[in-house]
Amino acid sequence: QVWDSFGRALYSSQPQEYPITCIAWAVDGELFAVGSFNTLRLCDKTGWSYALEKPNTGSIFNISWSTDGTQLAGACGNGHVIFAHVVEQRWEWKNFEITLIKRRTMKVHNVINDAVDSLEFRDRVIKASLDYGYLVVSTSLQCYVFSTKNWNTPLIFDLKEGTVSLILQAERHFLLVDGGGLYLYSYEGRLISSPKYPGMRTDTLNAQTVSLSNDTLAVKDKADEKVIYIFEALSGKPLGDGKPLTHKTEIVEIALDQKGLTSERKIAFIDKNRDLYITSVKRFGKEQKIVKIGTMVQSLAWNDTANILCGIQDSRFTVWYYPNTVYVDKDLLPKTLYEKDASEFSKNPQIVCFVGNQITIRRADGSLVHLNVSPYPGILHDYVRASRWADAVRLCRFVKDQTLWACLAAMAVANKDMATAEIAYAAIGEIDKVQYINSIKDLPSKESRMAHMLLFSGNTQEAETLLLQSGLVYQAIQLNINLYNWDRALDLAVKHKTHVDTVLAYRQKFLEDFGKKETNKRFLQYAEGVSV
Amino acid sequence: PMAQAALGSAGLHFDDLNKLRVLEPEVAAQTAQLREECRAFVDKTAEFQKIVGSLIELVDQLAKAAESEKMKAIGARNLLKSIAKQREAQEQQLQALIAEKKMQLERYRIEYETLCKIEADQNEFIDQFIFQK
Repeated sequence: QVWDSFGRALYSSQPQEYPITCIAWAVDGELFAVGSFNTLRLCDKTGWSYALEKPNTGSIFNISWSTDGTQLAGACGNGHVIFAHVVEQRWEWKNFEITLIKRRTMKVHNVINDAVDSLEFRDRVIKASLDYGYLVVSTSLQCYVFSTKNWNTPLIFDLKEGTVSLILQAERHFLLVDGGGLYLYSYEGRLISSPKYPGMRTDTLNAQTVSLSNDTLAVKDKADEKVIYIFEALSGKPLGDGKPLTHKTEIVEIALDQKGLTSERKIAFIDKNRDLYITSVKRFGKEQKIVKIGTMVQSLAWNDTANILCGIQDSRFTVWYYPNTVYVDKDLLPKTLYEKDASEFSKNPQIVCFVGNQITIRRADGSLVHLNVSPYPGILHDYVRASRWADAVRLCRFVKDQTLWACLAAMAVANKDMATAEIAYAAIGEIDKVQYINSIKDLPSKESRMAHMLLFSGNTQEAETLLLQSGLVYQAIQLNINLYNWDRALDLAVKHKTHVDTVLAYRQKFLEDFGKKETNKRFLQYAEGVSV
Repeated sequence: PMAQAALGSAGLHFDDLNKLRVLEPEVAAQTAQLREECRAFVDKTAEFQKIVGSLIELVDQLAKAAESEKMKAIGARNLLKSIAKQREAQEQQLQALIAEKKMQLERYRIEYETLCKIEADQNEFIDQFIFQK
């Protein structure tokens, strides 16, 4: 049986024939081995069994894994010591399927043209990763980088320290984690950077606690699990002012989005309560709010070609087509989701990858299931990135899907293209927003239009700052009055020595409307000075 | 006759050949005959013993042969029993391996089904375009 750190039972196997005499976890925590009478079984960390061997050795009383996680030794009842190594690992990406057939040989099968290539390595293969068109393999002494376009000429370079425990890939570079630290290499084999933070321990890093994208690296701290360190990938230096991202509870899993501009890079993370949050990676100036976008989330993954996020929320499989919506128009978020019942994925599904329009999920019994999502949001993302607004609108008109219109509305507002936003909001029937946008169009100055757009997204602080900066003091005051921020309105009025009477008048009216009496001392003070 | 009696009381006799004998001739003859008969008896007994001896040896050898055959038979029976158990164990092992393979097959079948569904969806999608345009 397998339990999680809360004590909940994750997996319970069928009763075995003979009593189990020993169990041992592999070093990276991804696998464990089970020994019994004449039996050796290899299991995944979620519990399901990969393979079974029946050596005639009596009961296996003790198992120990090697530090590189490829071999194990077992003490057997008949006095022998048995050695086993893990083989036949498989990696899949798009149309390539790669199998480790022997300790130093891999077979590459291209399913489109049925081509088979064989890759030989000088030393034992320890870890490998296949993604973004490259295969990265680490052996005990070297690292090999193969491009899927040409298997015959790999790039080989020596590793500083032997045992690589994790390989993570992004579109333009990849990360190796070994006992000495984190190393970021380009696909040409050049060491780009080696990020470090005080108290970093590399043996606790795995695919859930480290995330890599083209310009950013995020690492969850082990000493303080509420903290995520964020680094600029190309220099290895901490991003912005160096302070890490801190959350109020311990974090369990982190993931960076892969596409789009560096300034818009987002990180999504799941905390110990299984809530899903998203925030911007920017660490200077004003930090963006950390916004919760899901609960009871068990697993998540960003798409590799567009900033679409998918996750499994309790028993629902959810896709957030445009997670950035929360920073633009919170009300739109529910409209930009795609949800599907996930009960066929069993109790404890893990998302393996989200490539193109296909999502691969592993169920609790070890089987892989694949899901397809609509290709339209991905196309919409592409259009918006290239600012092809007319094409985006035409796509939405063709598909006639409310979800797509909602995404377009949010994207348009984020990119300040109000014309498209108007069309999109009209299509989803949000008349009030359409009217507001119309009114913005009629505003006299560019600054006030900008400010109102910021207001539209709920960024009241920024809107006010912008108005004050451009000298539109009256509008700033009016903004606060409209939001019933009486104290702030009065402060501004007094500071800029203008419109104090206006503020007082509105305040008066407000109190009358609600039948209340003036209790705010400052207002009383000023009311005495000015009479309406 | 008187001489004979006188000799006889002295324990001496004259026999037919006029030799002086210590025993009466008849008794001597009978004694000799007895001696002969005893000798024959002893010879016969010795022969009998020899024959019986060889018979006993033969029977002993037979007994040993029978023992060793018995042991062999017991050994063979034990081996048979253990082979039966070994076969059972082997069968269990194979069953376990079969169960594993079945599980793997089930996993692959599920994956295959989901992929088929995706293929069907994608085909439908493509058809939509063909029929619309």
